[in-house]
Amino acid sequence: MGQCIRHPMTWEELEEYQALTFLTRNEILCIHDTFCKLCPRGKYYKEATLTMDQISSLPALRQVNPFRDRICRVFSHDDVFSFEDVLGMASVFSAQACPSLKIEYAFRIYADINENGFIDEDDLQCIIQRLLNTTDVGDDLLKNLTKHILGESDLDNDHMLSFAEFEHAMSKSPDFMNSFRIHSWGL
Amino acid sequence: MGCLTVEVALGLKSGALNASPSSGTYQLCVNLNKGHKEEFKDLFKFTQLICARARTGTWGSKSFALVDIATIPLNSCIKEGKKNASKLWRLMESVHVYREGNLTGFDLSEMLVLIFSGGIGKGESCLAHKALTFLFPNSQDLSPYDESIVHDSFHQLIQEQSQRAEAESLELQEWPPRDKGGGSQLHGAPQEYSSATLRILANMPSRTIGRSRGAIISQYYNQTVKLRRKNSRPLLRDMSRSARPSIRQYDLEFDLTPREEEEKRSLLVEELQGLTITQRNHMLQNMPLSLTEKRCLRQDIYIRRGRQRCYQISQTQLYCCSHLKYHCIIAFRSLWYGLLSGLYALKPWRYSLKQISGQFGSSVLSYFLFLKTLVSFNILLLLLLLPFIVAVQVAFPPTSESSNFQSFTGLELFTGGGPFTHTVMYYGYYSNFTLNQPCSSHQSSDHCPANAVHLPYNMPLAYLFTIGFSFFITCITLVYSMSRSFGKSYRVGSTLGVHAITVFCSWDYNVTQKWASRLQHDNIRTQLKELLAEWQLKQYPRSVCGRLRQMTVLFLVWLLSLASVLGCAIAVYSFSEFMHENHEIRTETISEKLQEARLLVLPLIVCIINLVVPYFYNVLAICEQHDSPVLEVYVAICRNLILKMVILGLLCYHWMGRKVKSLEDQCWETFVGQELYRFMVMDFIFTLVDTLFGELVWRLISEKLKRDRKPEFDVARNVLELIYGQTLTWLGVLFSPLLPVIQVLKLLFLFYIKKISLMANCQAPRKPWRASHMTTIFITLLCFPSFLGAAIFLSYAIWQVRPSRNCGPFRTLDTIYEAGKVWIRRLEEASPSVTWFTWIHQNLVENTFFIFLMSIVLLVAIYFNIQVVKGQRKVICLLKEHINNEGEDKIFLINKIHSIYEKKAVHQ
Repeated sequence: MGQCIRHPMTWEELEEYQALTFLTRNEILCIHDTFCKLCPRGKYYKEATLTMDQISSLPALRQVNPFRDRICRVFSHDDVFSFEDVLGMASVFSAQACPSLKIEYAFRIYADINENGFIDEDDLQCIIQRLLNTTDVGDDLLKNLTKHILGESDLDNDHMLSFAEFEHAMSKSPDFMNSFRIHSWGL
Repeated sequence: MGCLTVEVALGLKSGALNASPSSGTYQLCVNLNKGHKEEFKDLFKFTQLICARARTGTWGSKSFALVDIATIPLNSCIKEGKKNASKLWRLMESVHVYREGNLTGFDLSEMLVLIFSGGIGKGESCLAHKALTFLFPNSQDLSPYDESIVHDSFHQLIQEQSQRAEAESLELQEWPPRDKGGGSQLHGAPQEYSSATLRILANMPSRTIGRSRGAIISQYYNQTVKLRRKNSRPLLRDMSRSARPSIRQYDLEFDLTPREEEEKRSLLVEELQGLTITQRNHMLQNMPLSLTEKRCLRQDIYIRRGRQRCYQISQTQLYCCSHLKYHCIIAFRSLWYGLLSGLYALKPWRYSLKQISGQFGSSVLSYFLFLKTLVSFNILLLLLLLPFIVAVQVAFPPTSESSNFQSFTGLELFTGGGPFTHTVMYYGYYSNFTLNQPCSSHQSSDHCPANAVHLPYNMPLAYLFTIGFSFFITCITLVYSMSRSFGKSYRVGSTLGVHAITVFCSWDYNVTQKWASRLQHDNIRTQLKELLAEWQLKQYPRSVCGRLRQMTVLFLVWLLSLASVLGCAIAVYSFSEFMHENHEIRTETISEKLQEARLLVLPLIVCIINLVVPYFYNVLAICEQHDSPVLEVYVAICRNLILKMVILGLLCYHWMGRKVKSLEDQCWETFVGQELYRFMVMDFIFTLVDTLFGELVWRLISEKLKRDRKPEFDVARNVLELIYGQTLTWLGVLFSPLLPVIQVLKLLFLFYIKKISLMANCQAPRKPWRASHMTTIFITLLCFPSFLGAAIFLSYAIWQVRPSRNCGPFRTLDTIYEAGKVWIRRLEEASPSVTWFTWIHQNLVENTFFIFLMSIVLLVAIYFNIQVVKGQRKVICLLKEHINNEGEDKIFLINKIHSIYEKKAVHQ
């Protein structure tokens, strides 16, 4: 708290952030608060960075989210979070964010578990294992599921989901917008 | 030199050469190769070793480098001529093994290209040609020394090969999911292409969108250009067929150099400047770039426009008071969130339902959801009945005619009789007064002064209209929820049961609690299993003989079940007749208490039938051996439904046909209300007993016997019990307006009892299945036989049956419906200005032609809708086919690109 009053945001910064993100003024200030509480004392918030561990210890991601490391990797730069990275992340997960942006980032979160730019079978199996929270998912289950997912959504039959295919599949689902959302980033 | 080779090989083996990339080894190999052709044997070993090394992955898996290495021995091999053919083949094999895939024409051609471009001089090309002819014996008629012809033949060969490979890949496309090893085979498919083709593939627009910063910038540049064009130009001129947006939207850009990227960026900035502020902000918000980059873009835009307006107020810090304000707002927000989550937690049974669906799957969940729906239906009914009938009657109790106090023995709780008879519970208690009557208490409205300041409250009318209106509302809600659930599960393009969506969308990112996440993990696991089970079902066809046997069994089982229904019906009917006659004969001879108890016999019998016969059906279902658990549940529902509806129909006949006549002097409506009350209470008791014995005792026994077979939750039977109970409630509303209260209490109890029993005693269904259409079916059943039956019964009672002479609000009328008629007549007399109302009543309600017309219009609308949906389905099928064809086209084009690259490589 003390740091925040020493280095408060200026109006036009606030305005700029508001124009560039899907967040409201209050949400930005709320995130600013959280950020200041986490960052080391006496540092200007624009220069301070948080480590991935600090971010994944936020209540929004803490312990339970199976994709927290992916989220951290996608939104961080050089494995650290600046204040703007955090804001960008909150903007994508906010309720007002448009579907295309959400799908874009969802693809990045899901796709690159093995960093090849597609959701292929390995990625899918990894996602399923994370969703079920175990590594000993039956081999049959995994194989069948990946087969079915690719069968349904892989339109051009190249056995991996490209962004366009992923976008197509997600745009049909009303659940996606509701589930890919994080309300509060406070501590 | 042989020893050197061995040394190198040993070095490789021990890992001393690990650090050296392939180029170093390559040099070494070339030296070896030039010096000692005779050391071929060692060289061959060496190659094998390299291959093995590369396969273990110490050098990464750049196939290109390895082909390099492998071709050196191949060179020497070719120089040896045909006699080393077998060794050449083995070498090829080792390369093939290294690649862990098919050695296709691509591999061969790649190697040969390398041979060509490698160290072979002009004179040696004959050897290469020899190798070619050796590999491809069908191209033999070439002069051995003409290099250009060799080249030509080579092109031909590549084309041939690429076509072959294309055909192969197309073949692969046709049956991808069928064969077992499909996954690995297909996974290898894209790896057939050379690295150049792969690079193109990786840079295709569909694969670069959202990947690199440069790609995003250029994509958005294109979008803004499009947006501006749209603004500046009328749309119609833009409609030429060649300007397909899907192609023009992205131009093929890859490997943007930093300079190009900078150019693109400045272009984008210019484009953004051309937009209005809102459009620009929206664009910036939507860009999937990091915030820092977005800020830079925004600042660039402002700086270039020279518009510093934004920065003139700059560097003013947030004031202390505004800080305070925002702190207040933040605190308020967190409070609001807390409140919201509290409200969310208030949503009834949320946690329990999640728990159930996580542990037992959607089939069991559908029962509890249905129970919840029923509770809401009854509460809706109560909301209308309580204020308009019950509250008014309580506020103006009738002048007590029969205040003889009856002793309370406890038995009355079950029979609903005794002291309860003359309470608001039953029809008989309600009187036919009119409140706020403008004239004197006499009925003649002719002598009334026409001051209609106070609206009269006519109890019979209120009774009739409230019941009618509540039924109407229930009907509308039922039809609405039915149509909605039909829409959900059978909609065109419905996303129910799509695996991809289940996987990608089922994780709720809002979950932050540990227990909630555990629930969600369980939930997703169950969902996925059910989804898969649904697919696996469609795979077992039966033999003709087996099918015949199954048909026979089915026929017999249905015969048995129908026979049992008939038997039960006869039993109930004859027993009710017997009780009815006995009642008339021996009413005086037995004590009052026993008389009360005798009333309970009929409900007891019916409940016993309802309890036992479903178990009999379950035994029958075991004989049938359906493969699909869904079908099993449907069949069980069907049988139970037939049984319950037949029994209820008989009972209705018993009440309307027999009791009305015999009880004319008493209050037959009250009797029917009491009878329905007894049935409901009995039903509840039997459900408890069933839960206790059917589930608890079975579990205890199975635990004793150390068998791991807990009982399963019988969805069909339990749901049918719920529907039965609801039908009883609807039947009884007219005769006992407080019956929904009892139903609500019963359902609430049932929820907790069933849930506790489920958690403690039952196991998850052995065959998981997804109850996708279950809710739809349940609602339909609730609507069609249950609600419709009750509505018909009540309509009959209202229109046809003569109400009792000495009790109830309709005691002076011939039928209940006459209350409405009398009111309309009076309305007509009192105020002629509302003749339109009576006209509507006469022409639209009482005239059958209008109803007939309405139903025809409705049917036509339904028919058209069905046709439209059919058409949409067809179009979807066609589009899917189209997409598949596009995919094949894409593969064809990729192969073309590949072959062109190959040609280029050859020409160089």
